[in-house]
Amino acid sequence: MLVTINSVSLVIAGSGGAGVVTAGSLLLDAAAKAGWYALMSRSSGPQIRGGEAAAMLRFATEPVMSHDDSFHLLMAIDWDNITRFSAEIPLTAESLIVGDPAHGEAPAGLLKNNPRQAALAMSDIAAKIENGRPNMVALGAIAALIGLPPGAMQAVVEDNLKRKGQAAIDASMAAFHAGIAAAADLPAIPQLPAVAAATAPRWSITGNEATGLGAIRGGVRFVAAYPITPATEVLEWLAPSLAKVGGMLVQAEDELASINQIIGASYGGVPAMTATSGPGLSLMIESLGLAVAAEVPLVVVDVMRVGPSTGIATKSEQSDLNIAVYGLHGDAPHIVVAANSVSDCLFTTQWAVHLAEAMQVPALVLTDQAMGQARAIVPKPAELAFIGQRLTATAAVEGERYKRYAMTGSGVSPMAIPGTPGLTHTADGLEHNEFGTPSSQASDHLAQMDKRSRKLTQFTYGDHWADIEDSEVGAGDTAIITWGSSTGPAREALRRISATGGKARLISVRLIAPVQPEKMAAALQGINRVLVVEQSHSGQFHRMLRAFYDLPKDTHALHQGGPLAFGPGQILEQLNVWSA
Amino acid sequence: METTAQKKKYAAKDYKSDLKPIWCPGCGDYTVLNSITRALAELALPPEQVAVVSGIGCSSRIPAYTSVYGFHGVHGRALPVATGLKLARPDLTVLVTGGDGDGFSIGGNHFLHACRRNVDLTYIVMDNQVYGMTKGQASPTTAPDWEGSKLTPEGTGINPFQPLVVGLASGANFIARVSSSDPINMARIIVEAIQHPGFSLVQVLSPCVTFRPEQAEWRDIVRTAVVDYTDDAARAARRLMTDDGFNVGKVLFKGSRPPFRPEFEHSHGSVAELEARFML
Amino acid sequence: MSDEVKDAGAIDTLPELLAHALAMETEATERYGELADQMETHRKTKVAAIFRRLEKEERVHLVELTHMCSQHDLPHYAPWDFKWSTGESPEAIDIGKVSYQLSVRDAVKLALEHERRAADFYGGIAQNTTDTEVSILASQFAAEEREHIGWLENFLAEAGPDDTAEDPDPPLSQE
Repeated sequence: MLVTINSVSLVIAGSGGAGVVTAGSLLLDAAAKAGWYALMSRSSGPQIRGGEAAAMLRFATEPVMSHDDSFHLLMAIDWDNITRFSAEIPLTAESLIVGDPAHGEAPAGLLKNNPRQAALAMSDIAAKIENGRPNMVALGAIAALIGLPPGAMQAVVEDNLKRKGQAAIDASMAAFHAGIAAAADLPAIPQLPAVAAATAPRWSITGNEATGLGAIRGGVRFVAAYPITPATEVLEWLAPSLAKVGGMLVQAEDELASINQIIGASYGGVPAMTATSGPGLSLMIESLGLAVAAEVPLVVVDVMRVGPSTGIATKSEQSDLNIAVYGLHGDAPHIVVAANSVSDCLFTTQWAVHLAEAMQVPALVLTDQAMGQARAIVPKPAELAFIGQRLTATAAVEGERYKRYAMTGSGVSPMAIPGTPGLTHTADGLEHNEFGTPSSQASDHLAQMDKRSRKLTQFTYGDHWADIEDSEVGAGDTAIITWGSSTGPAREALRRISATGGKARLISVRLIAPVQPEKMAAALQGINRVLVVEQSHSGQFHRMLRAFYDLPKDTHALHQGGPLAFGPGQILEQLNVWSA
Repeated sequence: METTAQKKKYAAKDYKSDLKPIWCPGCGDYTVLNSITRALAELALPPEQVAVVSGIGCSSRIPAYTSVYGFHGVHGRALPVATGLKLARPDLTVLVTGGDGDGFSIGGNHFLHACRRNVDLTYIVMDNQVYGMTKGQASPTTAPDWEGSKLTPEGTGINPFQPLVVGLASGANFIARVSSSDPINMARIIVEAIQHPGFSLVQVLSPCVTFRPEQAEWRDIVRTAVVDYTDDAARAARRLMTDDGFNVGKVLFKGSRPPFRPEFEHSHGSVAELEARFML
Repeated sequence: MSDEVKDAGAIDTLPELLAHALAMETEATERYGELADQMETHRKTKVAAIFRRLEKEERVHLVELTHMCSQHDLPHYAPWDFKWSTGESPEAIDIGKVSYQLSVRDAVKLALEHERRAADFYGGIAQNTTDTEVSILASQFAAEEREHIGWLENFLAEAGPDDTAEDPDPPLSQE
């Protein structure tokens, strides 16, 4: 394994009641206290309660972009149904599986690459401590193995168990220390160094929380919500948070209602948003077209999951690109942006609010389960200047009837907000003339189509359309073009190329629609080879790039359906095979 | 008595736009438009403080024919648009207009939940038991044996939807039925519906002169309801369950459920405080 | 006593009479205009022309009346509080009575019916009021309505038979 980042990756797995999700969170919090950076994803069985679960964590002394190609450690509190996760837990001969002998042998499905194995009698050790739990024993062992200072865990356990009283804290810490002691007999895995106390400010945040915060930062104050995995946490975070800043979240009866409620609220002048996943987006599509035609700004977040249909609700895929870009009937110019990391959910959502409000258009934000439900310890995101700012009409002009859809150079017409005297009008999803009056005339249709399209083509998107990064010694002639969650492993691949003195450029497209051919052409100057990376079985992104951009003849596509994420090594391997 | 100068800042005409309706001559919807504008004038609401929201259908064309703020959305979704608007802008008076197909078929789920949620809206449904815009198909309120549509040449064979019974069961806070042949009474009831807090449902028997010409008889069939409104939902239910659909001109039920009105908090919180919770 | 007055003799002051007259003439003017619009929208130009002409006639009254009213402080009536026995004012044609196939003769007959009711309404007031001034003015209003009646009656007498051509095209689909 080519290591360019000082990191350690581990999985805690176990069946219902084993407390692996809690253990993962405690470990993440403790790592935060230790000054580390981290990324934590979860995977679970289909049960609401008691199902098998796994927490996948990667710790580093610098920001974590992606999961690694494999895990150094699998700490299995038991083996129940663990093979369901085996594809999500790549192990190598250097990996270490630690299991509890009370639960028998590790299943063969985990042993393909001959990982090292060791035993830790978690349940026996826990049984000797009053109210001791095996998961805390496991955490002690993990802390010892990866070099996590015990004091960090002490502080976290105190925070978390405050309400349960000192006895509970003592029991947990006793089990934790017993785990540390027992780890003395375990084989070694890489350790992370302790970090000096004075690190840069860091946040602990999930992608879904970052999305919610981005919306509020951008000015969203009305959210309509219909629960759907894996978007629900966006809405759950927003409900109390909106209330704190003078906003409101309303639970709707279905997604058709959510999208139309936010249309109503935004028409009323309050920046509005909803969050959903593929099935919900499918239901909202007709009304997104309404928002395009009636020119009502709004933001819809799609936390993508595996489709089609109900698909795999709890797992990730980048396969809603087509519906987001092409799903609307008619010619319906709208914005599609995609976040490319946990913390970028904040930037991209905030930017989306800004774009939607500025252009009076619906903006779709694509995130996915992998980044939405992942928690990361990240550098504190920068303050952003983007605030939704709508061009409004505030006063009637003497002797002139207000034109809601007036022809303007930018295509953006001043919008009268209900309550404004003298500017009453009807916003309409029927094709209309400048006043908003329904019209079936070709000239009105074409003029309004031009106007709606002009809003998007004449807008200055700046550098945010894509994140472009080169290896240390320059771009060379090779580019990886990717988007969304695939950006993480691609970034790390670039990092590894850099480490060996190689050259490549990473282009992670944030502004999916409208397309930016000139900017892409500039970004591809001197590039002769392109590798497209995406998590879609049919290669939706690749097809879109082919349709709208001039790509070099030597363009390859690495695309696979979800839910397995690319590892950085998989991307590197593709580049190497190709060079050879 | 108040004088016109004191009270009457607005005339009905002030609430009409210059746009000429495309409804067939004789259509009940003309009368509904007039009753709405009369009601708004009587309430002396400044036009900019009123919004009319609709979906798709003949009657959903109403917003553009008014001089208030209007929103003409997609088929069946008028109620959620109005819900979002009213919750975001509680200062506005929000009316919803539409037909039986828009409200009870494609928009049926929203109807149930709008009644349940009880946001302070006035929902005026022009019920003509037919889809007029698409040339006369059976709607949810059409009688099962109506054979006038090529889609259902043998009739639908299914029971008509009972909007007022369903509205009552779902929690509508004000229920009335009126006839388009009695525009003044309609105006009076719309005034009451607007004034009553919560979700007000006004069913208007509004004949389709083109696809249901036999509905011209409605004006002779309807009768003014004998009993005044009740605030007892159980009594109202019995009454509505046994009613033949032609008792009009009176409010049938007035509830006292408080409207759903989450206030935008005048909060002292700031975005910085939200961000602080992520800080390590 | 006239059938058109809900509460005979109840109008005993000039402002009350003017408030009723103003409401009725406004509504009649607007209604004729509305019907003319409906018919124009549906390319029924002959019927539309009748209604348009009646709108103009009514507007002349309305302008005079508005001027007269400006000298008085009129009481406000809610639409349902006026003293005519019908819902809408007697002169306003019931929208539900018109149709796409309304013939010119039937349009005139409808107008005639309502002009007669308007004349009856004013006549009833003139007869029953206790106030001389009200009686004189109501009689004058009734006389003006009778001018319209005369015109419409002449029109009916002189007009040829109705063009009863059916529209051969079926109704169209919209949204």
